[in-house]
Amino acid sequence: MRDAMNVRKISFPRYAEYNCAFKYVFEEALEVRCITPPAITKRTMELGAKHSPEFVCTPFKITLGSMIEALEAGADTLMMVHGLCRLGYYGELQEQILHDLGYHFDFINLSEYDMSKKKEYIKIVKRINPKVHLARFVAKFMEGVRMVEYLDEITAIYYKNCGFDPTGQYKAAYQRFLTDMYTARTRSDIEDGYRSVRQAFQAVPLNRPVRPLRVGVVGEFYTVMDAFSNLELEQKLADMGVEIHRWMNVTHQFLHNHGQKNMAVKIKNLCTYEMGPTATANIWYAKECAERGFDGLVHIKSAGCTPEIDVMPVLQTISRDYKIPVLYLTYDSQSSDVGMMTRLEAFYDMIHMRKKVL
Amino acid sequence: MEAKKTPVVGLPRAMLYYRYRTLWHAFFDELGIKTVVSGPTDREILDRGTSLAIDEACLSLKIFLGHAASLVGKCDYILIPRVSNFGRHRNMCTRFEALPDLAKNVFRESGQRFLTYDIDVLQKKNEAAAFQALGQSLGFPARAVRKAYKLAKKAEQAKYKALVREQEQLYKTDGLKILIAAHSYVADDPYIGWTVTSYLKKAGVTPIRADIVDRAGAVGCSPQISPTCKWEMSREIIGSIAMHCDKVDGIILLSAFPCGPDSMVNELISRRVKRVPVLNLVLDSQTGTAGVETRLESFVDIIRFKEGLL
Ligand code: SF4
Ligand code: SF4
Repeated sequence: MRDAMNVRKISFPRYAEYNCAFKYVFEEALEVRCITPPAITKRTMELGAKHSPEFVCTPFKITLGSMIEALEAGADTLMMVHGLCRLGYYGELQEQILHDLGYHFDFINLSEYDMSKKKEYIKIVKRINPKVHLARFVAKFMEGVRMVEYLDEITAIYYKNCGFDPTGQYKAAYQRFLTDMYTARTRSDIEDGYRSVRQAFQAVPLNRPVRPLRVGVVGEFYTVMDAFSNLELEQKLADMGVEIHRWMNVTHQFLHNHGQKNMAVKIKNLCTYEMGPTATANIWYAKECAERGFDGLVHIKSAGCTPEIDVMPVLQTISRDYKIPVLYLTYDSQSSDVGMMTRLEAFYDMIHMRKKVL
Repeated sequence: MEAKKTPVVGLPRAMLYYRYRTLWHAFFDELGIKTVVSGPTDREILDRGTSLAIDEACLSLKIFLGHAASLVGKCDYILIPRVSNFGRHRNMCTRFEALPDLAKNVFRESGQRFLTYDIDVLQKKNEAAAFQALGQSLGFPARAVRKAYKLAKKAEQAKYKALVREQEQLYKTDGLKILIAAHSYVADDPYIGWTVTSYLKKAGVTPIRADIVDRAGAVGCSPQISPTCKWEMSREIIGSIAMHCDKVDGIILLSAFPCGPDSMVNELISRRVKRVPVLNLVLDSQTGTAGVETRLESFVDIIRFKEGLL
């Protein structure tokens, strides 16, 4: 048992670069220690895949691997979110698998709570740290949310522009920003980091052509955002000299999601109903990119991802109607750089040729 | 509507047909609407569906699209409901949310029209309201629709009760009994599920369907095995296992490759249900009958051995 002097050492699996904000919320708002799991590597993936059911979607395997690495790094508490689709069931099965492996830990599974009720949130906060002062928690939590917004904003700017900087300064500035966020302890740390990366970005002269190739990226929530999972698709495509646009991120999907109803109106001709957790946003954004004359779309998903497989026929319709090429990428624990690069290069060649002809 | 000619509605014999057939037939009959049902699944239907589906889709969707394709041009509408949830923690696999729009996009060039209704209780759309809207959209007066739904619902309940009673009897029979835990459209599909049940019968084993169960009771029991499972059809099956695992000699978890919910639920069942032997059987369009039979044979042997019958 944990002795009363020690605070909880809590961990949440790796998820893109959002762990900086999780860390901030755990340490500054909840006043417990956060064990940020090591960055995902091939080992994480292999560990996760080894102990997962074979046909489960890939994010399950990666987050399981990341949980094991968090436990190895000394975490005594793990947390898993609730969610639509299979995600809402990840927690219960991962907890069972980790217990069967012999690990001891406290597991906070948000799927066990009714997240539609405010008082459940308080219950969770109090469970993590009974001594937390609620008003202070809320204030600090909002700073964590601010960090997510900045992260999403900066990441979007980064992938849109980094392909046009041969010097590497753009990338260095982005990396510095990430480090700043992972080490931020106060609100002004966050604000300073944000301000300095914006300045640094502006100082880099870009050699963007007048009509650069523009590609819209859509897909399943985890794999589309997690650079390790998608084998750094955005970076690789950007490095070929392409402007990358992705709407899907935590800010848009969860924090400022006023527009989803109106999105549905704009895609009425393509689908009548909400087809899955991220379907409406993905279809809307794909159509938006097509209408704005983008050169191509990339659809990213984990192998076997039910809702995104079901979005594909609609994307095929968009592709046909607007004559926009779509590259469909599926990732499993065996996906390799080589295989993806070949497809990516072929895709690039195609959109490049089309641009010349059109 | 200009009710000159009542439309013909096509019902794909796949997926939710197996859950709702009594309700659908009774409802349309009552309104005087003719229905056509696609033929039982065969290789041709499966191949056609496979060519229409995204490669990675589950076997059930491939079969479904094959059935839908066989109805294109043979009816005025093909019925494809959207079923999202029956309330909190009572969801369907997301594929049932996507199905009507998915089919519309797949068959876009064919000119085929579709009929749909939307069950999304979290958005305050329940079954009665959905059928009401469906009937009225076909031009029938509100009263007639209400009556048709009421009668159809009654017929459905009576039929289902009888089915459940029949299964309950099976638990009392002598000899080896194996519980088949599968979605109805997997267990009851002549091309896939029946290969399993018919083999077991030939081997002198009584197969019992886990999904044919007092549904509300089973959903209530499901937290005994898995407290956070939120898929309605999986909860019915899990609950049925909790209710019946003492009364059978083995359980076969039968799944259509690569079923999303089953990929997790069946793993959890295997880890938590220890009282009886459990066999995990995943069927795909490649699985030959021979491979399935070998696995069934050895599973039955294990049970017989364990019970001292070998
Ligand atoms: S959206 Fe896809 S990857 Fe995410 S839980 Fe659902 S099936 Fe898995
Ligand atoms: S529950 Fe499984 S078999 Fe049924 S539609 Fe969903 S993925 Fe396919």
